[in-house]
Amino acid sequence: MMPSFDYKIPKTLEEACNFLWQYGERAKVIAGGTDLVISLRNGLLRPEILIDITNLPELRRIEEREGWVYIGGAVTHSEIASSSMIHTYGRILSQATFQIGSPQIRNVGTIGGNIVNASPAADTLPPLMVLEATANIVSKEGEKEIPVGSLFKGPYKSTLQPHEILVSISFKKLPPYMKGSFIRLARREGMAIPRMSVAVILQREGDWIEDVRISVGAVTPIPNRMKEAESFLRHQRFDLNLLKMAAQKVSSEMVSKSGIRSSTSYKKPVVEVLVERAIRQAFESTE
Amino acid sequence: MRGIGVNISKVDALDKVLGASRYGGDLSIPDLIHLKVVRSTVPHAKIIGIETGEALKVKGVEKIFTAKDIPGKNRIGVIQKDQPVLASDRVRYVGEPIALIAAKTIEGAEEACQKVKVMYEEFPFIKTPEEALQPFAPTIHEKGNLLIEFNLIKGDVQIGFKEAEVIIEKTYTTTWVDHAYLEPDGGIAFWDEEERLTVLCPTQNVHYDQREVASFLDLPLEKVRIIQPTTGGAFGGRLDITIQCFLALAAFHLKRPVRLVYTREEVFQVISKRHPLKIHYRSGARKDGRLSAVEVDILGDTGAYASYGSTVAIRAAVHATGPYQVPHVRVRSRMAYTNNPWSGAMRGFGVPQIAFAHESQMDLLAQALKMDPLEIRKINALQVGSETATGQVLIASVGIHKTLDKIEEWKNKILPYRLDSKRPFVRRGIGIGSMWYGIGNTGIANPSTAQIELSPEGEIKLYIGVADIGQGSDTALLQIASEGLGVELNEIQLIRADTSATTDAGATSASRQTYITGNAILKAIENLKREILKEASSLLNEEEGDLFVEEGFVKHRQKFCLALPIREVARRTRRTIRGEGYFDPETTRLDPKTGQGNPYATYAFATHLAEVEVDIETGKVRVLRIIATHDVGRAIHPKNVIGQIIGGVAMGVGFALMEEYIPGKTISFVNYLIPTSKDVPEIIPILIEDREPSGPFGAKGVGEPALIPSAPAILNAIADAIGERIYDLPANLERVLEAVQKSKQH
Repeated sequence: MMPSFDYKIPKTLEEACNFLWQYGERAKVIAGGTDLVISLRNGLLRPEILIDITNLPELRRIEEREGWVYIGGAVTHSEIASSSMIHTYGRILSQATFQIGSPQIRNVGTIGGNIVNASPAADTLPPLMVLEATANIVSKEGEKEIPVGSLFKGPYKSTLQPHEILVSISFKKLPPYMKGSFIRLARREGMAIPRMSVAVILQREGDWIEDVRISVGAVTPIPNRMKEAESFLRHQRFDLNLLKMAAQKVSSEMVSKSGIRSSTSYKKPVVEVLVERAIRQAFESTE
Repeated sequence: MRGIGVNISKVDALDKVLGASRYGGDLSIPDLIHLKVVRSTVPHAKIIGIETGEALKVKGVEKIFTAKDIPGKNRIGVIQKDQPVLASDRVRYVGEPIALIAAKTIEGAEEACQKVKVMYEEFPFIKTPEEALQPFAPTIHEKGNLLIEFNLIKGDVQIGFKEAEVIIEKTYTTTWVDHAYLEPDGGIAFWDEEERLTVLCPTQNVHYDQREVASFLDLPLEKVRIIQPTTGGAFGGRLDITIQCFLALAAFHLKRPVRLVYTREEVFQVISKRHPLKIHYRSGARKDGRLSAVEVDILGDTGAYASYGSTVAIRAAVHATGPYQVPHVRVRSRMAYTNNPWSGAMRGFGVPQIAFAHESQMDLLAQALKMDPLEIRKINALQVGSETATGQVLIASVGIHKTLDKIEEWKNKILPYRLDSKRPFVRRGIGIGSMWYGIGNTGIANPSTAQIELSPEGEIKLYIGVADIGQGSDTALLQIASEGLGVELNEIQLIRADTSATTDAGATSASRQTYITGNAILKAIENLKREILKEASSLLNEEEGDLFVEEGFVKHRQKFCLALPIREVARRTRRTIRGEGYFDPETTRLDPKTGQGNPYATYAFATHLAEVEVDIETGKVRVLRIIATHDVGRAIHPKNVIGQIIGGVAMGVGFALMEEYIPGKTISFVNYLIPTSKDVPEIIPILIEDREPSGPFGAKGVGEPALIPSAPAILNAIADAIGERIYDLPANLERVLEAVQKSKQH
């Protein structure tokens, strides 16, 4: 049963911040609602008021400023997947958003929602982690910029305060020599939560890995960069053995963060394979 | 338009695309009372008390019904009546109905539902059929935990296994599968102008519902009217009582219209599931590939109640050999009660499960004999004159060889797969799955009836009790009627699936309606024509024997210019001319000790070929293509038949790779995965029309056969790709990867 609630559609960011300041924890922000509405229907959330932020122009734009790409918090997955700017400067995010759920979900679900819902399997998080994205947050108290990675404290728990709004996500335009790859594995081809997803950004110099960033989704409680594997690979000559060892570092990081579970016997070998494939794909990429 | 084998547009299509069709949940009447069911939260317990005090205080609550309010028998069930509508003293599964809330608003009903307190004394509960059959296991029903044991004995398997060159012995398991029909159960009930308690909701059999509701309310049959609105799928899930009795009970007492619509979560929790079967299969073949013996032990989980458990046990046993000649057969098939969700009918009644086993065995035997999988099937496939495992001699329409020949043509076109250097982790495989399926109920009478009327106003009306659940029986049966009578299809008005206007046609199940009701309609037309000729003979003053009906006209054998439209006959006689039809397929009862007999009048046959791609590092399987050849006797509406095949393949992909209902865990489509459009492979349906002499225009059935061969073909293709076999369904990521790892060990 859907509980009853009040519904506000602020026209300015300031108005939205005021509502949130006033209602605090009694309010919930709604954009696409693809996660929120389910929680309402299940009775997991019973807010007094919903603040609809989809009419705020600051949250609806994709733009480029001083070498950075800004994506408004209420931009939908479809809009991201079809943006040529994101395709050029952060293609890995285009790839990830293109595979989310179904066309219906992509048409209403937003990047801000995907982030603050804080699902360990959120599709946009591994790409945002390797893009080293920044979350731009606004509230009555002012503006702040924090790394996307520090928005999480546990599965489905974000650090965003009830009075804060995630206005946009920004990342530095990826230079053409930084190659990305994104691999997603799910139980079926559409409408499926990923079993695992891997995002890699890599800079190649001849046969050498100059720089690499790795993030794996759905294997750790909160999104992570696989730092050990990254530093192991950095400034190394690329070869398959090296790749294997790096992948093992990722799987042991997964086990140390998530513990041994019934799914580990499957996930451990497979996460290694997916990491190997993603790194190789990025290394061999000519696009 | 008219004609057999013609793709006219489905008669329900326009309303459906316009959104004008009214499904159960669309029905509404002013001043409705809304219903909600209070359910058990424990799997096995005695009910100590039900407190409704707090719930009754909720605004808008009119009444809360419990078992005490049931005027008639609180026992329902298709075969064994062992299931209460509202539990009174004991609950046997999580989700069992205990009380029914009636309130002015849905919100009020839902709130009250939370406030009903049920006190339990919990019992130990049984999770597996093996546990259920242990000595001293807690009993779920008074008569014990064994619902049925069915034995099929032909020849002597000892002799058969002695003659075998190779013997394969394996155990196969399948799990619970949800029907996943599109429309959640919903409907309304009210007392009509004629003081009949009327229920409208999705169903596969209005006349069965009528009998159950009448007995439940202790009303005479004619005081209960069941109408089937447009229905969004069923697949067997609507053969049992779903919401009929709740609607009827509330309307009966409140004397006001009531409405009940399930949420998707409720549908998943409380509607029957496909029976999980554990199949121990031993088969032997001679050097030349001929099967010498098959010995099978089947143990199924019927859950808390009987439902169709016996049907599934018997049908799985009867079909256990697959579509092959086997001289020595022994099958023991049992169903046990557990405290799991209750299993019931689902597309195929146990045959999809057993086909997975017999087709895996055929490939294993072929492998052991170094034979081609297609070859071993051809050597063993049934033909006209063959004797089945129940000792039935097949006399016509045995198209299995033709399906195999077609598959061979396609198989020869598939080029060997070369490893892709960019994707060295991908393996390809092809696999074959064959099946047979007896049309109609197993070894018991399952007649249908139909009436056709010609009114003085020139109207032609066809009355059938058949529920069209989306599969297209309305169209196919109208085609049969229009061809039989020689009039255009749109000249016939169809009145169907309303107990006040139609007579019993039996269930829309067992792929039986085209064959059985189709024949009943042809009988009705025959009788109508006889009546027309009688009338015409006196009208025209001609000998009845000189007259005949053709193309909607009464004609004379000698006087060629005489042609009186049949409508004119009715107009001139000023009375309604009527023909009644009855058809019951020729079957015999199966011997209770040996299972021998002729359980079906005809069988459908099919073979699928699957091409799959397996990622050997992740266990991910992609089905690339399914070639689906089906012997349907005759396709009354080819496009409709093809639609059934495509839907069946999609369901087969799900059964093979992903569908798995986990009691206590599966909530809704969020964690019950069925194939999406992106998971469904290219499908090439091929119709084979080996006419069935006893069928209407040669037709048999296709509804269930469509699904059955896909999963076996896919599983055989996976085995071909990775060199190791999976014995438990579904073949999900984990199981495939585990099989790959195993294959590396040898």
